[in-house]
Amino acid sequence: MRTVMDKDHLAAFADGELSPEEAAKVVMHLADNPQDQAYVDELYAANEALARAFSAPLQEPVPEAIREAIMGKAATNVVFFRPKPKLALALGGLAASVAVAAVLLTGLSGGPQSTGIALGPLAAIDPVAGVLNTGVSGALVQLPDGRTSMVLATFGMPDGRYCREFEVVDIAGGRVDYAVGCRAGETWTIEATIAEAAVEDLGQGFVTASGDEANLLTQFLERGGAPVMLDAAAEADVISKGWSDR
Amino acid sequence: MSNQFQRDLVALVPKLRRFAFSLTCNAADGDDLVQSACEKALRNRDQFQAGSRLDSWMYRIVQTAWLDDMRKRKVRGPSVDPDDIELGDEGRGASLPEDRMMLASVTTAMASLPDPQRVVLSLVAIEGLSYKEAADVLEVPVGTVMSRLSRAREALLPHLGISRGGRQ
Repeated sequence: MRTVMDKDHLAAFADGELSPEEAAKVVMHLADNPQDQAYVDELYAANEALARAFSAPLQEPVPEAIREAIMGKAATNVVFFRPKPKLALALGGLAASVAVAAVLLTGLSGGPQSTGIALGPLAAIDPVAGVLNTGVSGALVQLPDGRTSMVLATFGMPDGRYCREFEVVDIAGGRVDYAVGCRAGETWTIEATIAEAAVEDLGQGFVTASGDEANLLTQFLERGGAPVMLDAAAEADVISKGWSDR
Repeated sequence: MSNQFQRDLVALVPKLRRFAFSLTCNAADGDDLVQSACEKALRNRDQFQAGSRLDSWMYRIVQTAWLDDMRKRKVRGPSVDPDDIELGDEGRGASLPEDRMMLASVTTAMASLPDPQRVVLSLVAIEGLSYKEAADVLEVPVGTVMSRLSRAREALLPHLGISRGGRQ
């Protein structure tokens, strides 16, 4: 592409390298020189395409091998998964600090039935199904019974389904339920749940006892291959399509 | 053993993995590179100057480790086997077929760039460093960054399918 203005100067403009005064001059020049505007647009598009093409690591947990190389083996039971918008996770020892050991992971381990979120299909009128249908990750939803719920992440699974990891917080009961719900046809099915005791954390929301629920749910989600966590735009897209494009 | 330096390093890992992925164009090779760079950083942590930017220091270690690795393999020029090129998240983040094709073409075009150009383009266009910051990481003059960037874009743009005009 032939340009009127020097290409390096246009590139410096697109890369944000120019002073406000220099940038203003370029803006005025671009208004009269569509071919230069086209070149700048091309640079913007290329930068965006490059950023997108290699963005996957930003949405993934730190690989265990790398964490271990940095923190040492002893620290590997401390699992950083991704930010949970409302919960501050206490990173304590696993076995000693699990206060409520109601872990139900289909295909991983058995255990007593949780009274918070039951495994199996959700009725369409269940408020939790509503959260899974339309909830945006990180958005707090008030349930009719006083509990609150929040979707933590949405995943595209290797088998083609969508699964959503979410929490339900029962303030009165001092309990947090984490669960994975997966979409099959028109129905959400709860495939894994973990219940943890929660203690109030002085204005910071709730702190779970072990902080290990992310690890267990990650193991569950990855049992059939690596899931892909949807970014906000992809999640919004699939919600708008009613979960029907896979 | 845990301390602030290690925690800061862990916090940087996602960005370092992205940088390494853009250099190797292969996620597994990128992770090997990041792990190797982190181990090297821990061995040489005394050389890190408190108050300076850890990300710049780590970018330098990653790119040096990558170039060392390339030299050890005696790989010259285009250094990535096209069969090993990966589309990040296997393209599932891109919803339309043409979008996926575009991301695939970006990755392939990136892999075809000479190593110094690929590093500069990654630091500026993907990691968002200024020319001066990229020059500091690479320990080269800003003019060298600009010329490598210019050549990288001249080579890259025609392959992205977003060009609106003919070549100069």
